[in-house]
Amino acid sequence: MSLLAAARGRVRALLARREAVYGINRRNLVLVYPNNDRRDYPLADDKLLAKERFAEAGVPVPETLAVCDGLFSVPGVVEALRGRSRFVVKPANGSGGGGILVAGEWLPDAGGWRRAGGALLTPHALARHLADVVFGVHSNQLEDRAFVERRVDPHDVFAALWADGLCDVRVITLRGEPVLSMIRVPTAESGGRANLHQGGLGIAVELETGRTSRALHHGRAVERHPESGAPLVGIALPRWPEILDVARRAARAVPLGYLGVDVVVDRERGPLVLEINARPGLEIQNVTGVALGDALAGLPAVVEVPGALAASGSAA
Amino acid sequence: MTGRRVAAIIRRTLMSVAHPRKVAVTIVALVAATAGLMLYKVRALGYSLADVLPVRQYEVTYALRLDGHGGDVRVRTFLPASDARQTISDERTESAGFHLSQVFDGPNRVATWVGAQVPDGAEIRHTVKIVPRRVSYRIPAELAVPSSYPPSTAAALRPEKEIQVDAPEIAATLARIGADRGTVMERLRRIHDYTHGLTTRPFKGTTDALTALRLGEASCNGKSRLFVALARATGIPARLVGGLILEPGVKRTSHQWVEAYVSGHWIPFCPTNDHFAELPERYLSLYYGDEVLFRHTSDVNFDYRFDTRTQLVPSPRAKASFTFLDVWGLFDRLKLPFSLLRTILMLPIGALLTVLFRNVVGMPTFGTFLPALLAAAAGETGAGYGALAVLIVVAAVATARWAVARLELLHSPTLAILLSAVVVTLVGTSMLAERLGVAGLTHITMFPLAVLAICAERFYLSLTEHGPRAAGKELGGTLVVMLACYVVMNSLALQVLVIGFPEVLLLAVAANVYLGRWVGMRLSEYRRFRGLLTGGAP
Repeated sequence: MSLLAAARGRVRALLARREAVYGINRRNLVLVYPNNDRRDYPLADDKLLAKERFAEAGVPVPETLAVCDGLFSVPGVVEALRGRSRFVVKPANGSGGGGILVAGEWLPDAGGWRRAGGALLTPHALARHLADVVFGVHSNQLEDRAFVERRVDPHDVFAALWADGLCDVRVITLRGEPVLSMIRVPTAESGGRANLHQGGLGIAVELETGRTSRALHHGRAVERHPESGAPLVGIALPRWPEILDVARRAARAVPLGYLGVDVVVDRERGPLVLEINARPGLEIQNVTGVALGDALAGLPAVVEVPGALAASGSAA
Repeated sequence: MTGRRVAAIIRRTLMSVAHPRKVAVTIVALVAATAGLMLYKVRALGYSLADVLPVRQYEVTYALRLDGHGGDVRVRTFLPASDARQTISDERTESAGFHLSQVFDGPNRVATWVGAQVPDGAEIRHTVKIVPRRVSYRIPAELAVPSSYPPSTAAALRPEKEIQVDAPEIAATLARIGADRGTVMERLRRIHDYTHGLTTRPFKGTTDALTALRLGEASCNGKSRLFVALARATGIPARLVGGLILEPGVKRTSHQWVEAYVSGHWIPFCPTNDHFAELPERYLSLYYGDEVLFRHTSDVNFDYRFDTRTQLVPSPRAKASFTFLDVWGLFDRLKLPFSLLRTILMLPIGALLTVLFRNVVGMPTFGTFLPALLAAAAGETGAGYGALAVLIVVAAVATARWAVARLELLHSPTLAILLSAVVVTLVGTSMLAERLGVAGLTHITMFPLAVLAICAERFYLSLTEHGPRAAGKELGGTLVVMLACYVVMNSLALQVLVIGFPEVLLLAVAANVYLGRWVGMRLSEYRRFRGLLTGGAP
């Protein structure tokens, strides 16, 4: 009998909060469709297009060293990079970190670049990679553009979380206002990628203070990085107001109203916007322990509260 | 009012209401349109919702065997005819060396097989499909025995060799049981009860009416002859009916019952099994009158049996009465199979089911239509082989992808290679199955390749974009949803409902409109966010 009562209590508890916790249906109907016009998706999907917008609006982004928009431009790009150190090649329409090539120091004697792990990247291999990207091998489409960025040199606080790759701060914004934020930290298990469902870990960041409050790995709370042992909780992030500021400005630079803005902090240049996502995932609720509905209810009054959106259901 | 004006009014109405109202109005309009059309069909066009239910169809095979000793052989029997109580279809005969001729002899269909130089062990197989119906009549309680009948019933009042209407014992029995007076109803009731009350004996041979009366016991034909004799003696035309009681399996036993002529109708009675003015579905009438079921050239060692199988089929009355925008008839005229018609009409139902699984349960699948398409394709091979075909395709795709991955090929050529791998695997499976003698597995190649190709592409995309874990989940979800779609889409009652009342699909549209605005949590998300929902840390 008490077991039944306990089960009933548990079900009631599950149901009581179901309006506040956002599922995919609610996210799409209440947040994505009314705020993000499908026509504007390319601005989020095409990293190069987004970067152009950000550059126009004065939002700081990693410096673009070269753009390769066809097979004919590959040799020129390779020549331009010869002698330069520390850059990243990315497909404009890649997803999940596919097709990203990281080059280290230029080694004049070897005539190539040092790669992570010490291997040599020859100009020929770089040309091949650029050609692959241009042919759409990494983006499941017929053609794509490749672009080369100066490598971000992460701020010490972020470098301490994970030395071999880049941790970013994911800020969810609605109509340009930050709603929730977390840090995504790669692990060796995730192959150096920061995606949570690939084994990366998420650290909740309090919007008001910029302090990390808790961390989640594979749905379980952790206090330290499972591989490096670096502490994850109670860290004060450097230049937090600036991070939020660039996230706001990035969100306002595009017509998309509901976004995940990924910000990295460069040792010298400070917060830079890496990319934006028009359908940011919902796992951030689990990471921060805050339901999206509750976070939205706490937004400043300038932003229309999606509760009203849900009631009017406007799909305009 | 013209259609365009109606459309304009609907559009203006929709535009004047706020968005959630729009959704509600759309749903209400769709449901009302469905209900209205269905009501119109039932009230004005005489559709019956009960006709939607499938009926049991019996397939009866006359299996005749004889030794012709190389001479001429002749076999005469009766074949069932369609009437109000039974619908006969798909008749076919397999009888090498025999010629079949048919004539109508009154109400009876007489079939004669004639063969010359017939060897020993010759076989005649004749198969008919029957949809029988239960019938029941109400005889007016006040109806008196008429003084005259139409000439066509004269034979049904006369004495016959084994139906001794004039015998004094018959008259005496009539008087004793009180069946010589009163209304038609009273007389028939007493005759029925009396003949039913005789002890039943499983006699093999023929019992005439008087013998049955004297012995006080009889088999079905004795009781029926006595019933006919008593009915004729009291002035009610009556006749014997011969036929089969339909049961799946093999039988030799035929059955006899009677019909009495009341107010212009031949009304059935079975004194043996106590059916008064009614017959259950399982009775198949083969002939009328005191006939012998089989006559044949003597000395041919004749043997016979009836093989009966059953299956559920759409009610013939549904096909006959569902005439408004008759797609069924259209497909018949175009010579397209019924299976195609129902597949097409059931796809929206399958898609709705997939939407339910994806958006309410939270089960990922390969696309929205693929599970329904797979289920439709599996309609021919069975769900098990459908699932197996999917698994084989997926295995082929995974293997081929692994093999070509290091070549880092472009997307489309990779898919073309995967398709080749799928085709080769399917054909190879069929060859292997044939060699191993697994009959069902050879049908795998019949599985529509287009559907499997889409399945292969979806699996490949999922594998490359989301990894093997996610692809495996989607595969599992696809199989589960496909099985659910298979069960629902293969429901014969639902198929006939959609064929007769295609407006039911508007209900599926209404459901999709509702689900399209439904912001509730998916079942899987209750688990995913359980920590948040219960307020504690996850």
